[in-house]
Amino acid sequence: MTIEKQDLRTGAPQRAPGAGSAEAAPEAGSKAAVGPGRRARVLPYLLILPSVAAFVALLGYPLYQVARISLLKLDLGELIRRTTVFVGLANYRAIFSDPFFWSVTVRTVVFTAACVGLTMVLATLIALLLDKLGRAMRLAVSIALVLAWATPPLTATVVWQWLFDTQFGVVNWVLSAAGFGDFSNHSWFDTGLSTFAIITLIIIWQAIPFVALTLYAGLTAIPRELYEAIRVDGAGPWQTFRSLILPVLRPLFLITAFLSIIWDFKVFTQVFLVRHGGPDRQTITLSLYAYQEGIAASHFGKAAAISMVMVAMLVLALTFYIRYMLRTQEDL
Amino acid sequence: MKRRYVAAIAVIAALIIAGCSSSGGGTKQASSSGGSKTLTVWLMDGSAPKQLVADLNAEFQASHPNVKVNYQVQQWNGIQDKLTTALAGNSTPDVIELGNTQSAKFAASGGLSDLTAKVGDLGNQNWLKGMTESGQWDGKQFAVPFYSANRFVVYRTDLFKKAGISSPPTSIDEWIQDGQKLAAANRNNPKFTALYLPGQAWYVLASLIWDQGGNLAVKNGDKWQGALDTPQALAGIRSYEQIYKAMSKAPADTDEATPQQFEVFAKGDVGMMIALPWEANSALGANKKLTGKIGTFPIPSHTAGQTAPVFLGGSDLAIPAGSANQDLAYDWVKLMLSEKYQTRLAKENGAIPASANLGQTVLGNDPLLGSMVKSSANGQITPNDPSWAGVEAGANPLKDMMTKILSGKASVDQAAKEASSLITQKMASSS
Repeated sequence: MTIEKQDLRTGAPQRAPGAGSAEAAPEAGSKAAVGPGRRARVLPYLLILPSVAAFVALLGYPLYQVARISLLKLDLGELIRRTTVFVGLANYRAIFSDPFFWSVTVRTVVFTAACVGLTMVLATLIALLLDKLGRAMRLAVSIALVLAWATPPLTATVVWQWLFDTQFGVVNWVLSAAGFGDFSNHSWFDTGLSTFAIITLIIIWQAIPFVALTLYAGLTAIPRELYEAIRVDGAGPWQTFRSLILPVLRPLFLITAFLSIIWDFKVFTQVFLVRHGGPDRQTITLSLYAYQEGIAASHFGKAAAISMVMVAMLVLALTFYIRYMLRTQEDL
Repeated sequence: MKRRYVAAIAVIAALIIAGCSSSGGGTKQASSSGGSKTLTVWLMDGSAPKQLVADLNAEFQASHPNVKVNYQVQQWNGIQDKLTTALAGNSTPDVIELGNTQSAKFAASGGLSDLTAKVGDLGNQNWLKGMTESGQWDGKQFAVPFYSANRFVVYRTDLFKKAGISSPPTSIDEWIQDGQKLAAANRNNPKFTALYLPGQAWYVLASLIWDQGGNLAVKNGDKWQGALDTPQALAGIRSYEQIYKAMSKAPADTDEATPQQFEVFAKGDVGMMIALPWEANSALGANKKLTGKIGTFPIPSHTAGQTAPVFLGGSDLAIPAGSANQDLAYDWVKLMLSEKYQTRLAKENGAIPASANLGQTVLGNDPLLGSMVKSSANGQITPNDPSWAGVEAGANPLKDMMTKILSGKASVDQAAKEASSLITQKMASSS
């Protein structure tokens, strides 16, 4: 996101010297003319050099390593003996020929969509609520949000597991006491769907605060006069949301949605902790699959190949976002 | 203008998030310097009491002048990765402790020195068979036993007395009868369960399968195959089902750690649990009223008078192949396995030392741990192959199988067959 903007800000001046170089070429003879021109051409590059270097070191190199390892047979033995065994695309072939991989992929996409969808809807509602609340309540809700956000995923998962415990869980007790039928000894982790529901709950509980607070920050940026104007024009609450809030906050909705996609697609801790992928392997998502097939079994090549597939899928999803960003930037 | 402001918030949000993700730190590594040699020893947290190692190192340094022992305590959490890194790196430790189910993996990778020729010198005639096997790979001994512990039944002596049970059961049938007596004596307490045995306690399941002469997986040629659908294993699974249905009200789809069974036991509405020493102690720590009301007996066998083979949990000691101080490392291991320190290990840690005979001497009459020592003799381990780790990681087929059977979703035969083929598949894909 930051880079997108930086590149594009500098984009215009960059293109100018690029186009100008053809004109500059014939002038090459006169050194006096070249001097300042070259400095002007080099300066922007120098300015972005530190960030480019940081990106290459922190993102490019690890990505290159993962891509390289995905072409190796790298088990514990190879790692300890430090031997390099190139196997070409064998790791990818092994993954793609595993029917379980395909059901895990579909499951992961659906799971991600559900998590992101619920997070965005609920967070938007909470952001709108925050905007309407009085100062004291707003503070209380904000603190609650931040606390949920600040809870380490491990702790949160353990607490939620206790809440939904079959025998000792407070949820079963409350549901029974409130007259929803007999929930004593009801198992929430009996089926894949029910287990996924609990996992989703844990994840969105922690994902909502960031999105809600970000959207609320955006809402505060909308001038009150606009609300008045749209009300004078006769718009109801839904119309206000659709015609005013949604267009103004579009960049925020997009960035939070895409960040959520990235997180929920590769989330590991909560999914793993709840039932280690059970019952009956029904809650194994791609990141658990990579862990189980790759890391736990010491097949680091295979783990890298699965990671590369995950990266490719995310890049594909993010293409839409990047394309949108490029288009709106041109509009500005 | 406003739009740009909103975009700026988005940028800030993205920056915050980028700053939030971080990764763990690196490894501290002390290396030798100067004229004298440094022997780096890694033991796990909670393995050997501090004073024991301090005394041992002092004795070692006295008999090896110019050698300094650099003793480091490692945490179990993340140890696999750390060991992998250490064995592949340049500053390999000289002595390491491995969980006994991890040994095969590191032995097979070629990262450990072969100690086959020296086992006699280290006193292997006193080692538990299961522990000896855990350090073997390809017929060679790459790791040697350090200590072990195993499960036993923890019971409430006061409740047993109240129910008119005079002595602990000596067979599974007797055990079930006692459980029913317990339940009958406490029928006024709806929360009471005679035995807290959750459906997914798969180490207990392994015991019952071994008790019937079955196995979790067997090696056919060079391929491992799930063996849960053999008649012996099926008998073991049925035995678990019978015990669970007769005595336990614990959920069918949880294991002994979620929630921790000692916490449930400590609440006081449980007659028995199948536990490790630390769980028994934690239960006592959580509820002081239980002091003096707890006894133990070995997990009974279907054959009266015998005990069911238990899963031996524990650690091995090994010398990395990359260690520059092979002989010194061996001397250190030998000293740790000597009678003096093994006796202390049993006394001070309550674990069965590599020399199991010393465990018998020291702990044989211990009211809590006597049962552990008694049932350790025929203890076994999970299939000794690196690919077994892939079965346990993630969704363990044994756990899912038991849940399906106990909740009536599948017959024993069908569930065992499915789980067996999944084990075969997982062990093949990760070998």
